[in-house]
Amino acid sequence: MAFTSNLEVTNGIARITLVGELDAAVAPQFRAQVEEAARSQARRLVIFMQDLSYMASAGLRALAFAKQKMGSDVDIYMIGAQESIQETLRMTGFHHSVILLDSYDAAQIEAI
Amino acid sequence: MDEQNAMKSLVVPGDLDALATIRRYVQAAAEQASLEKQQAYRLGLAVDELATNIVTHGYADSAAAGPIEVQATIDAHTLKITLEDTAHPFDPTQQDTPADLDMPLDERGIGGLGIFLALNGIDDFTYERVDNRNRNTLVVYRPASEVSP
Repeated sequence: MAFTSNLEVTNGIARITLVGELDAAVAPQFRAQVEEAARSQARRLVIFMQDLSYMASAGLRALAFAKQKMGSDVDIYMIGAQESIQETLRMTGFHHSVILLDSYDAAQIEAI
Repeated sequence: MDEQNAMKSLVVPGDLDALATIRRYVQAAAEQASLEKQQAYRLGLAVDELATNIVTHGYADSAAAGPIEVQATIDAHTLKITLEDTAHPFDPTQQDTPADLDMPLDERGIGGLGIFLALNGIDDFTYERVDNRNRNTLVVYRPASEVSP
């Protein structure tokens, strides 16, 4: 499936929806949206991953970039990451630095 | 000797746009070898990371990027994928394992993750330099229940 990345920022919450396969060829699209989210001064970054079927290390680098660019006090939520992608996050220790949720939890995410 | 079934090899240009084509080829091989879903995903990731490395490092300083040749071979017990390129010698097994995996993201380095994921997602890996080419061989053991007698 062709990769798409869509960004929406409302009330200080940046939401990026990833669909398809995230490899090194398309990672710059994701990274560009992370930069835009950082510029928007968002206080949360929520990444919807239910329809992301694949993520290579290029996606991890974009996530690390998000954390560095937005600041360590900006929480990054990953919603609905598939088991294989969660395994990649655990193997590389990224699960320590992002919050993995099965589904969107407004009470937790929007309480600022 | 076990019967071997070599798929037709895939030769693609050494650029990032070829990654998806390589993943499709590996996926087809994994299906033919009846790998489990997680095994197939890890192998696909491993090949993708190594191919990405060939494109972004191996061929990055060359005036013209060379090809990447991918070959899948299935025998009774294993699926073997070889990746060959004509870039300068690069042995992935000589890369340092990232040391700070448990550190917070804003305090750690993020280099070497691709090779780390590649080598940890498969059952066996060898690197050889043959005829001025890098040859990476990835091996995954097929599920026992699927092995024909």
